[in-house]
Amino acid sequence: MNDGREKKISITDITELGVMIAALEVGKMALNGVPNVEIVTFLLILFTVYFGKKTLLAVASFIALECFVFPAGLWVFMYIYIWPILVVLVLLLKKKGSYFMWCIVAGLYGLCFGAMGSLVYVVTSGPAAAFAWWIAGIPFDIVHGVANFVIMLVLYPPMSRVFSAYCKKKTVRDERIRDK
Amino acid sequence: MEQEKEIMKKNGVAKWVIAVIALVVLVGVFGAVYYAYAPKAQEGSKAITITVVDNEGEETVYEWKTDAEYLMEAVNEIEDLSLDGYESDYGFFIVAVNGLEAVYENDNAYWALYVNGEYGNYGVDTQPVTDGETYSFVYEVVVSE
Repeated sequence: MNDGREKKISITDITELGVMIAALEVGKMALNGVPNVEIVTFLLILFTVYFGKKTLLAVASFIALECFVFPAGLWVFMYIYIWPILVVLVLLLKKKGSYFMWCIVAGLYGLCFGAMGSLVYVVTSGPAAAFAWWIAGIPFDIVHGVANFVIMLVLYPPMSRVFSAYCKKKTVRDERIRDK
Repeated sequence: MEQEKEIMKKNGVAKWVIAVIALVVLVGVFGAVYYAYAPKAQEGSKAITITVVDNEGEETVYEWKTDAEYLMEAVNEIEDLSLDGYESDYGFFIVAVNGLEAVYENDNAYWALYVNGEYGNYGVDTQPVTDGETYSFVYEVVVSE
């Protein structure tokens, strides 16, 4: 049924997006009670490695969904750039990426999360307030960085096996459809 | 072939060791920055002002002299001022000030802590007490659109 025109977003894409958004939201909620231990960084890296640019759409939906769940605040502005930057970073590193590199990226991202988030305070309250806010959160950033590193270290090998098997199956199926 | 595999394996282990060391060093650097720049609690007698702003905007002001290192201890010293709450993973979570409860689930309200008019970066149990500072507990309501 290929009419020669490539559809921009297929049903498979929509399904994958739905699963990505659900996993992000459920993962976020499940670990809400544990301060600065989150699975969103891990999931976004994993999704970007296997689904590429599409992950940006999932991030946008995830941020919108979060706005319905939690009261709006400055965190919305932080999310608007922090999560997409992670996806773009992984897209740029993807070709040379490895299990090892993703562990490093996840750890560093957690450590620098507060510093990146403080940029919003530079705009709203000035550099001094932003610096004070960042300093106050450093103990949490340290927990965040170490937790991200460990989560990636433990979960990436089994999850990447599942995702790579899925992507292979999808490629075979797409080739069959194209050949018909 | 065997030798190559052995070298590859050794390189892999070395890479991970370097990564873990680098992460530990970075954590140390962040810890040092925190230690160097985080506000320190002062010892000795300090004059502070604590203001409570209730749900109707009414202010109660307490002028107090204290040796407390952290605000929670200073608050506990003042007989007419009471804080109720619970220990959370993020520190002491204030539920009520002077008996007035702010329950987010019911009223979209919470008790905010301001330091010298600026929104506080620390909880009441980790906020260092500094001479001459003003601490305000303000009943705030989140207006959802």
